[in-house]
Amino acid sequence: MSLKFHWMLPKGGEVALDGRQTARDAARYRIESMNSASPAVRPDLTGWTQFARHAEAAGIDSVLISFSRYEPDPFVVACALGQAVDKLKFIIAYRSGLMQPTTFVQQMNTVSALVQGRVSFNIVAGSSSEEQRGYGDYLSHDERYARAEEFLAVCNAFWRADGDVNFEGRYYRIEQAKIATPFVAADRTRPEIYVSGHSEQSEQLALAQGSCWLRAAESPEKLQPIVERTRARGLAVCLRCCVLCRPTREEAIKAAESLLPEDAHESTTQMKDDSQMYREGGALKSDQYWPKSWLWTGLVPHYGPVWTTMIGTPQELAAAFLEYERIGVTEFILSGWPELDTVDLFGREIAPLIKPQKGTKGTKN
Amino acid sequence: MSLRFHWMMPKGGEVSMKTAPETSRVATTQAMSPAALPDMEGWTRFARCAEEAGIESVLLSFSRYEPDTIFVACAVGQVTTKLKFIVAYRLGLMQPATFVQQINTLSGVINGRVSLNIVAGSSALEQRGYGDFLDHDERYARAEEFLSVCHSFWANNGDVSFSGKYCRIDKGKIFTPFLAPDRTAPEIYVSGHSEQAQHLALTQASCYLRLIDTPEKLRPVVRHFRDNGVDVCLRLCVICRPTMEEALAAAQALLPPEEIEKQERRILSSSDSQTLKDALSAADNVGWMNRNLYAGLVPHYGSSAITLVGTPADLAEAFMEYKEIGVSQFIIAGWPKLDEMMIFGREVLPLVREAENRHR
Repeated sequence: MSLKFHWMLPKGGEVALDGRQTARDAARYRIESMNSASPAVRPDLTGWTQFARHAEAAGIDSVLISFSRYEPDPFVVACALGQAVDKLKFIIAYRSGLMQPTTFVQQMNTVSALVQGRVSFNIVAGSSSEEQRGYGDYLSHDERYARAEEFLAVCNAFWRADGDVNFEGRYYRIEQAKIATPFVAADRTRPEIYVSGHSEQSEQLALAQGSCWLRAAESPEKLQPIVERTRARGLAVCLRCCVLCRPTREEAIKAAESLLPEDAHESTTQMKDDSQMYREGGALKSDQYWPKSWLWTGLVPHYGPVWTTMIGTPQELAAAFLEYERIGVTEFILSGWPELDTVDLFGREIAPLIKPQKGTKGTKN
Repeated sequence: MSLRFHWMMPKGGEVSMKTAPETSRVATTQAMSPAALPDMEGWTRFARCAEEAGIESVLLSFSRYEPDTIFVACAVGQVTTKLKFIVAYRLGLMQPATFVQQINTLSGVINGRVSLNIVAGSSALEQRGYGDFLDHDERYARAEEFLSVCHSFWANNGDVSFSGKYCRIDKGKIFTPFLAPDRTAPEIYVSGHSEQAQHLALTQASCYLRLIDTPEKLRPVVRHFRDNGVDVCLRLCVICRPTMEEALAAAQALLPPEEIEKQERRILSSSDSQTLKDALSAADNVGWMNRNLYAGLVPHYGSSAITLVGTPADLAEAFMEYKEIGVSQFIIAGWPKLDEMMIFGREVLPLVREAENRHR
């Protein structure tokens, strides 16, 4: 299998509920996690360790640990969880504007050495101005991208490891910097960098400084030209989506519909005021909810593009992954309701059916 | 209150090193030093010994030559259950909200066993490598703002807004709380000898951390802090042997080749830190500060190498003298750190506890 599958790390407290949780319960738990009274504000090493072992058993490559002010810091979570499991990798989501790039490199390199190189990161230029101001960052959307480009340029200069780092940009100035702790991994001297977003700036940033462009899933037809031009410039493409798999398509659709909020106007995305990806998601019309027979965006207007869902039987979903593979997508970051059940099901029922097709070339990284 | 004893965490690779000169700062700041890499095996061994010896916390030092302290505490915290971590961190490296989020998360994964040693930044050169171009005095002014923002988050009474000269925050929220059985915020050690450092400790810290000096010299300083509700913690080294002669011989044996001294002296004299300047002048002027307190190793091993030298009884008596003037905590190192810590735990600590019981 040449495709790489990653999974979202569940929110704190979610795994403990597993077994007593319907898909709808899991979805509500996640929606309500943006509340200071939610158990999700606390690190949950017991639940996460359990999930991590199941993910390893399911053949999952990495878990993505999301960043927001509502959750524990993903760097620290990766470091702690990395001590408990030895195969699983961690994609740490981080925003720029929160720390100096030199500090970021020192932290990233330290974590790499403590988890045997099992770490990469997903840079987010910052999807909410309001949330950024709570961190002391007052830049606009476009400026945040310009700064992220400088940020990654400085990081990459450290990872080239060819002497002191000097940088004089618009947002960062650094003089004769050294970080003695190197990035430590068996096969790399720097982490893979996932750049996410749908805006032109995010594509630019991914091309200039990233190793993989991370986007919400859309129909293969719509993605084909985008993937083609991205691949042509040496960048991998990773899709973020949810999976909802049941023995029959009818059952799957019924489970999906159970996830719709009672309040048709419920939305958790108003905070992402200046994200292009979220703007696109919010503008979806109801006749656009089924771009493919197996791809559903009915939750996107409520909860954002990362709730785009692949729906169907194991055979249908395996075929859908192969369709993406044919257009050049190489990685996925998946999620489900509940996460633990879904990752088990993925490993047991779907992954064994995803076999490279005859006549397609193996993808390279 | 019983005296609280902490120890310096060895650098990466140090636990398996044999000689003191190997472990000197000069050796560990050279490129390719093992100190640049985390050393889980050595640290785990050391941490378990520290728990056994009755040590409360280990201090993890911060510099560009070493792994990041927050993550070292996180990883070593997974393999220990009692030991606490005093995480040294510099300011000017990240936003206060980010710092609070990381520290709170860390507290949640190691059951609250974390406190902070805030360093305003001891080298302007090193700070510029982190993108920080403030001078010594401004770094302290910023530290004051930084810590008051952190305290606002830990006070946990609503959104945090702050508009200062160095920090500005609008409706900051960090949902992950500081998690500990007995506290809602970490203890904060502020170190430094300058007036600004002392002021920062008085206004924002729970404990003032400084180099050891004679009890006579320290008495008024300690009283001033205690009167203002701030603890005092002394940083020192110990050499403890069954007899004073053996202890002196051990101290003599630590004097390294001339070349290392020259390099260490250059580091000390090029710093803009008041602490480092004071240490160097103590070494140059006195050597022996009193019967048991020796500054002669400072030019070789750095500012924190002012050393209590003596028998277990001498050392226990010395610690009790500091207790009498109001000192309540110590952060100790030795050569090698592990051996000296085991001697301390076995020979000195029981005598201190006995004396404390007698004076109760």
